[in-house]
Amino acid sequence: MSESAISIRNVSQRYGDAGAPDSVLALDDISLEVRKGEFVCLLGPSGCGKSTLLNVIGGLFKPTSGMCHVAGRLVDGSPHPDKIAFVFQESTLFPWYSIIENFRIALKFQGIPQSEWDDRAMQALKAVGMSSFASHYPDQLSVGMRQRVNMARGICVETDILLMDEPFAALDEQTRMVLGEDLSQLLAATGKTIVFVTHSLAEAVFLSDRIVVMSARPGKIKTIIDVNEAHPRSPDFMLEPRFSELRNECYALLRDEIRSTMAAQRDPQSAGA
Amino acid sequence: MMSSSRSSLAFWLRLVLVAFIFAALEIYGRFYADPAFMSPPSGIFRAFVERILPEPKIIEALFLCVLQIAAAYGLSILFGTLTGLLVGATSFSRSAFFPIVLLLFAIPQVSLLPLVILFFGLGPAAKIAFGFSHGVFPIIMNVVAGMRDVKELHLRAARSMGASRSETIRHVILPHAVPSLFTGLRLGMTMTLLGVILAELYVSTGGVGYYTRLFAENYNPAPLFALIGCLAVIAILFNELVRLAEKRLTPGLRRSAALTNLVKE
Repeated sequence: MSESAISIRNVSQRYGDAGAPDSVLALDDISLEVRKGEFVCLLGPSGCGKSTLLNVIGGLFKPTSGMCHVAGRLVDGSPHPDKIAFVFQESTLFPWYSIIENFRIALKFQGIPQSEWDDRAMQALKAVGMSSFASHYPDQLSVGMRQRVNMARGICVETDILLMDEPFAALDEQTRMVLGEDLSQLLAATGKTIVFVTHSLAEAVFLSDRIVVMSARPGKIKTIIDVNEAHPRSPDFMLEPRFSELRNECYALLRDEIRSTMAAQRDPQSAGA
Repeated sequence: MMSSSRSSLAFWLRLVLVAFIFAALEIYGRFYADPAFMSPPSGIFRAFVERILPEPKIIEALFLCVLQIAAAYGLSILFGTLTGLLVGATSFSRSAFFPIVLLLFAIPQVSLLPLVILFFGLGPAAKIAFGFSHGVFPIIMNVVAGMRDVKELHLRAARSMGASRSETIRHVILPHAVPSLFTGLRLGMTMTLLGVILAELYVSTGGVGYYTRLFAENYNPAPLFALIGCLAVIAILFNELVRLAEKRLTPGLRRSAALTNLVKE
């Protein structure tokens, strides 16, 4: 388990040219090791750069400085679809393709031979209990069903690493909890390495092996919290006192950050001083 | 089902309204109107059977009109789609060329009609050219708009899956632009019709425009309205054609059959 799947060294990300008045330092000297098979949550106030960090790991953004290695390979602003899959919000499904066509296109983009497309797609759909909806179009499904399908699309490409960018943000809380449980079950079986961006405290505690708490802009790692609980986790975990303790610990860490972010938004002058 | 009984009620209401308008026109046309300016619907229908149908030159003129519209529309689709794809391909090409399209579209083209006639002559060429210049712009604009509005998240997802630039265009940008393309095609159809018929009415030596003027200037409203009715039918047929194509070819609309099944289940 000690083998490193993702290794981030001194990564900084700046939008706009340094010194320019509208330039923003989104990530400030981030270093993080993610072990193979680990589930890591990036938790932080909005605008703290968690999504930026995820995009750097996935090769969608090139970091301004620092290096990021995934499975021993340098990721430098170009995607590695054979190693890394992304799951975004449910609206990422292409509405002009049916569910099965959405899978085929993902596998085609990834360069998987055509003979495997339908088998893999149906297998992934079965895993999330959506196999009878293969020929439906995304807008014929509920938001929760769409996100199930979307998760399955990320899984069917069979990469070792899965990056999830607030996949449940558009869902209501109940659906979100149920999908979280399903995700925990599903991923315990596959042994994938997962980095998951969220701003939900309960989601972070329930899903992660480790929670990386980030500070407000510029994004830095404030602290890392270990959640010692085996996967797959049952909903009973949420009722344990330890769950609340961890959740409260995260909230205490974030509260100041959220307040300072909000203050900065209200009155940029005083926050800068 | 409630929705079906509601839609059949709407159908009958519509039918009653249309019948009422025809009856009112009939009564007014028969008993009150000046026969030099208006004819009741029955008279228009009689004129259609007795004066339009037996006149091979008028039928020929109508047929020519259909051909002109088809030619102008075909050219509009071809050039409109191609130009739209080129202009909309990248944000650079869009910012470079789209203002030119907008500027040209803003010109009231009717003011150029005499020039078009001078250039292309009195025959079908001028009508086709004028129909084309009307029809091509809505198509270009809507193709460009459709390609511009593609979702950032879809592009990012495609990129993360390893899609090449050409795969992204083919599977993400183009399908996204299809509904917008058809909006352009429908508007383009209306505009093409307008352009062709405007040019016909302005000057014509034996086309529909010639006969319209002939009947109008002789205070002969019945065949005039019959001819206008024929133009309306042509317009409706062309629009239906576009609508059918849209239904068959829009990826998002193919689902309607599946959706009905879902509701039935």
